Amino acid sequence: MLTLTGVDRHKKLWIELAFATAILLVATLVALAFRRVLAPTNLAMIYLVAVVVVAVRSSSYVSVAASILSVGAFDFFCIPPYFTFAVGDSQYLITLGAMLVVAVVISTQSARIYSQREEALEKEARADALYRLTRTLSSETRVFEAARAAASLAQEIFGTHVEIFLPDDGKISFRRRTKDQLLIPQSEESTAQWVFRRGQKAGNGMNRLTDTKAFYLPVRGTRETFGVMAVLPDSEGRIFHKDQQELLELFAQQAALTLERTLNQRAAEESRLRMETEQMRSALLSAVSHDLRTPLATITGAASTLRSQGDKLRQATREDLIESISEEAERLSRLVSNLLDMTRLSGSVSLHRELCPLDDIVGAALLRLESRLEGREVTTVFSDDLPPVSVDEVLWGQLVLNLVENAIKHTPESTPIELRAGSTDAEIWMEVRDQGPGFTPGEEEHIFEKFYRGSGARTAGAGLGLAICQAIAQAHGGAISAANREKGGAVVRVTLPRTAT
Amino acid sequence: MKALILMVEDDPQIRRFLRATLAAEGYRFQEALTGEEGLAQAAAHQPDLILLDLGLPDMDGIQVIRRLREWNKVPILILSARGQETDKIAALDLGADDYIAKPFAVGELLARIRAALRRSSAVSGETGATTLKIGHIEVDLERRIVKVDGAEVHLTPNEYKLLQVFIKYPGKVLTQRQLLSEVWGPNNSEQAQYLRVYVAQLRRKLEPDPTRQKLLQTEPGVGYRLLWDRP
Repeated sequence: MLTLTGVDRHKKLWIELAFATAILLVATLVALAFRRVLAPTNLAMIYLVAVVVVAVRSSSYVSVAASILSVGAFDFFCIPPYFTFAVGDSQYLITLGAMLVVAVVISTQSARIYSQREEALEKEARADALYRLTRTLSSETRVFEAARAAASLAQEIFGTHVEIFLPDDGKISFRRRTKDQLLIPQSEESTAQWVFRRGQKAGNGMNRLTDTKAFYLPVRGTRETFGVMAVLPDSEGRIFHKDQQELLELFAQQAALTLERTLNQRAAEESRLRMETEQMRSALLSAVSHDLRTPLATITGAASTLRSQGDKLRQATREDLIESISEEAERLSRLVSNLLDMTRLSGSVSLHRELCPLDDIVGAALLRLESRLEGREVTTVFSDDLPPVSVDEVLWGQLVLNLVENAIKHTPESTPIELRAGSTDAEIWMEVRDQGPGFTPGEEEHIFEKFYRGSGARTAGAGLGLAICQAIAQAHGGAISAANREKGGAVVRVTLPRTAT
Repeated sequence: MKALILMVEDDPQIRRFLRATLAAEGYRFQEALTGEEGLAQAAAHQPDLILLDLGLPDMDGIQVIRRLREWNKVPILILSARGQETDKIAALDLGADDYIAKPFAVGELLARIRAALRRSSAVSGETGATTLKIGHIEVDLERRIVKVDGAEVHLTPNEYKLLQVFIKYPGKVLTQRQLLSEVWGPNNSEQAQYLRVYVAQLRRKLEPDPTRQKLLQTEPGVGYRLLWDRP
């Protein structure tokens, strides 16, 4: 419990009164003990000390009462004639008057400090409750979870049963209550619904619809009501105290505001993502439509030339046109498979990992590339202790194929290509080295981006081959990088951590 | 008489160029546009080879293979635009002979047709030869001796068994499951790891450079094939 309820206050008053009485009793005993030794004006000081002791620990009513009582006791016990309120010597009237003034002033001042402290504690308790609420809710992105967290926090802070009901299809429904929520009776659904619709509190102890076990507060943000907070008062009814009610309402409001902020953030995030996807799609569309149309244009053009003017063309020209139809069709085919690969890889990829010898994979890839290698010299240097790699054989083969294909595309036909593979303690690596023109400065940073086209390509591609390589390497927990070789040419290096194997 | 080929393919443009190609090679051919039609024609005409598209309008090509194989051993060559390895494996495991992905070059298609026809005729009338020459290797089936470039190499019993299976189906893609059950028996068809090890060992013994697959070709994700046009 962080704040004081009415019942606690009542109890506290009695404790304070008992304390004051005890202190005054002690003061009186001390005064009686010293009555023969000390002058009555000095005995008054003992009572003043008692008043101060009471005042620092009590509310103002108790302190003032203690002041008056102490003056009475002083008169009764310390001023002759003893055990009467009569004052023998009229000069003691001044003592009594001064004592009363001093005692009352001291007690009211101390009591003010006391009540300020109480207020500060109460404020702190509220601030703490709201802070905990904000902190708890800010990590929740789902409304349902947030409501549950807020309800359980409220339960802890207010020491009574609290549930939050969220609307289902615009209505508060009690039909699907959780186990805890079953404490709130089904018959009160309409009350909760009323509170939700009106945005006003109602129920047990409130001004409206009081015929319920629980009472209901709207959980209301700046724009909308998120749900209804149902509070089951305990038998002592502490929750109905004004302070508790205020704090509870503040709590509900704060919960709503936090929820609202979370939802806004999520909406903003979603719209940003949608926009990015949209941009990506339009970039993809323009790139793809260009890449698809260019070869199609060549094929259509060459075919229609052959059909309409075939007999007027020289044999060599006809063969040329047929050749370009076939080449462009091949290019189209490669583009389509690249696009399919990329699409497959941009979702969540499920790898079919198995331990495979790397030379097996490389061999299969080179075989598939046979026609495109056009007799190009390709050497493979694999270290003897190369362990089998745990990869998706098909995807890794695609990676090797794309890397070699890329090297073929960007280097003169007469230059050799070299594949190397080896391992360190931490990883297995593979390199494709060429002796072409290499990368222009800064280019190696971009070559793995989708739709990036290298500057020196002999044949135009869609700029997807290396992006696919990167996607495959990353899906395996590996990495890919590119650099220029010291003596000219480019090298692309793929690494696969051994832990992933 | 040249072989009779049944093409089961719903796309008119593909049929058109297949017709031209097959006619140019002198094959006789029948056409079916649906799976049902294909099954009916296969029963009626007893073709020597079936070219089967997997994406048919009335049923899945896999289904066609299953039903054909209930009563017929005719070589089936799959033509498919689906690139998924699972489709290939399913088709091959059900008994398809080969698989060629669209788009394909005509030369490749004709080579596969020739190989499949040759295999089926060899199965029906065993050649009886006891020594085979496959590229640079020589296999003496009777004495179980394998020579690479004239020099004898020692194969373990399992390696030799594996090689025998490949020789039995020259040029045919054998799925991992098929190889495993042929060599180690039908109960071991799931141990792909064994197979990789033995193929790698066999390859090292028979091929000078495993990254240049001249004899045993890996079909990634599917299986292996012996690159050999049996004479």
